[in-house]
Amino acid sequence: MSEYNRVVIPIGPQHPSLKEPGCFTVTLEGEKIVDVVLGIGYNHRGIEKACESRNYTQIIYLLERVCGICSHSHTTVFCQGVEELAGVEIPRRAAYIRVIVAELERLHSHLLWLGVAAHEIGFDTMFMYAWRDREAVLDILAAVGGNRVNYGINTIGGVRRDIDDSLRQDIVKMLDALADQVKYYQELALTETTLAARLAGIGKLSGEDALKYGAVGPVIRAAGIDFDIRAVDPYAAYGEIPFKVITDTHADVFGRTVVRILEMLESIEIIRFCLKNMPDGDIVTKAPRRIPAGEVISRVEAPRGEDTHYIRSNGTERPDRVRVRAPSEANWHAMRHMLLGQYLADAPITIAAIDPCFSCTDRAIVVNSGRETEVMDWPQLRQYSIDWYKKRGIDVAAIKMPERRMYF
Amino acid sequence: MQTEEAIIHKLAEKFSILKDKLHVQRSKRIISDFLTREEFEQVLPYVRDEMGFYRATHVVGTDEGEDLGFIYLLTNDEGIILALKEKAPKSNPKISSLSGDYPSLEFHERELVSLFGAEVEGLPPGPSYPLPDGWPEGNYPLRKEWNPEYFDQKTMTYNPPVDAKEKEGEKK
Repeated sequence: MSEYNRVVIPIGPQHPSLKEPGCFTVTLEGEKIVDVVLGIGYNHRGIEKACESRNYTQIIYLLERVCGICSHSHTTVFCQGVEELAGVEIPRRAAYIRVIVAELERLHSHLLWLGVAAHEIGFDTMFMYAWRDREAVLDILAAVGGNRVNYGINTIGGVRRDIDDSLRQDIVKMLDALADQVKYYQELALTETTLAARLAGIGKLSGEDALKYGAVGPVIRAAGIDFDIRAVDPYAAYGEIPFKVITDTHADVFGRTVVRILEMLESIEIIRFCLKNMPDGDIVTKAPRRIPAGEVISRVEAPRGEDTHYIRSNGTERPDRVRVRAPSEANWHAMRHMLLGQYLADAPITIAAIDPCFSCTDRAIVVNSGRETEVMDWPQLRQYSIDWYKKRGIDVAAIKMPERRMYF
Repeated sequence: MQTEEAIIHKLAEKFSILKDKLHVQRSKRIISDFLTREEFEQVLPYVRDEMGFYRATHVVGTDEGEDLGFIYLLTNDEGIILALKEKAPKSNPKISSLSGDYPSLEFHERELVSLFGAEVEGLPPGPSYPLPDGWPEGNYPLRKEWNPEYFDQKTMTYNPPVDAKEKEGEKK
């Protein structure tokens, strides 16, 4: 086809298949993508510069807000880097709690992704199931840290919240129910022919290309590369915990789906192990405010892949340089390569399949009713919703819900 | 499987310029001292093709006073990070793009251009990242002398007070 017949379509910058701004300028020959120019950076907030004018404790809360979903990953990678610079060893119980929260975060992130991916391919029933199940994980995270996202668990020297026996039992109960659901998703992914037909062969990325383009996380593992920082460079308590690095050889969106579902089952086993083997003792140890001069490269395996921070200290209370390399930043290059040669109709699911980062919403809402401003918390919001439907003749409380597994 | 010490030994043996410039910081971390552009470009192909550091995690820009620093984080299959450092004067901050051999570095090199004012020779044309098109020239936010308090977001101009301008002039 002559290049004069090529069509250039800007997808974005508003919500190109994800709830954050990015602009993908796509050149088409017919229905096929022959070139993509990535336009990102709309969400640049100057966080790295802001780190240079804050002390180490303030930075934890700033970095927690780099990403609404991987918030614990960013504080873990930062805190463990600063602890290394300061020569501080955290209590073992704190290391186990960091792992528990990290794996709960992976569960809610993967369930969120599963829902988004299902929505992108028109499988909205699965989208609703996955997001319903994610709520159970978020409830536990809210019980652990007091918030659905940005849990504020980490501090330099350990963690801020303990997990008592009552909470431990709640987590075990939630995991038992969730494990059944995830096994159902596993069965669905492996046996549902329409799902395989829609996802197989889409967004192909070979192992060689995954390495070349610097892909990380489930994207690289779905291309058959068993690279997982938890195993390659163990941190927190991962060195003491038995787990499998999940890989798949499909090297496409289908493979990425399978990897994330199986990783959820591994996360459940990791949390169960931690809850059973978590040592007693302190959860935090004293750390200095002034961090000795030095530099450190710290990394963790966030839900979306390797999250790396470079931190340089200068002996004061403030760092000289903090560089954040979030996992999505590593996967953009690979995603561009995946899109080339694809049909335009496959672009949304291909983009969504790297699980690009988007922020979560706040749990409180401000309602302007006349002159008064009212702040509603979560139970009030729920009640408001029930009353809203009642006024319209629908009594939500009277609806008999089917058994949870009836649809299976 | 190569140990960190064996990697350092092999590199120092091959390149005399690297003698005493590579350090094992801890397990899986090798950090170099700053190299000149010529030294860096001499070492890099061997590190990539012969030593197995064919993956690039990212490049960290740093402000080193009179110079800009560039720390390339390269990884091998065992997950060892080799942080290879290069330096260029702020008066002539030229470095070569590595995005041909390490495509994963393209956006990170654009960051060096936008945020540090580096001149990355050979970087393919593309949109500005992460700062928007129309960002005023000569404003490099991650340089230490750039103070966000003096930046007017409405007019997109940088207006340091007179004494700050004088201090900056004295430095130059």
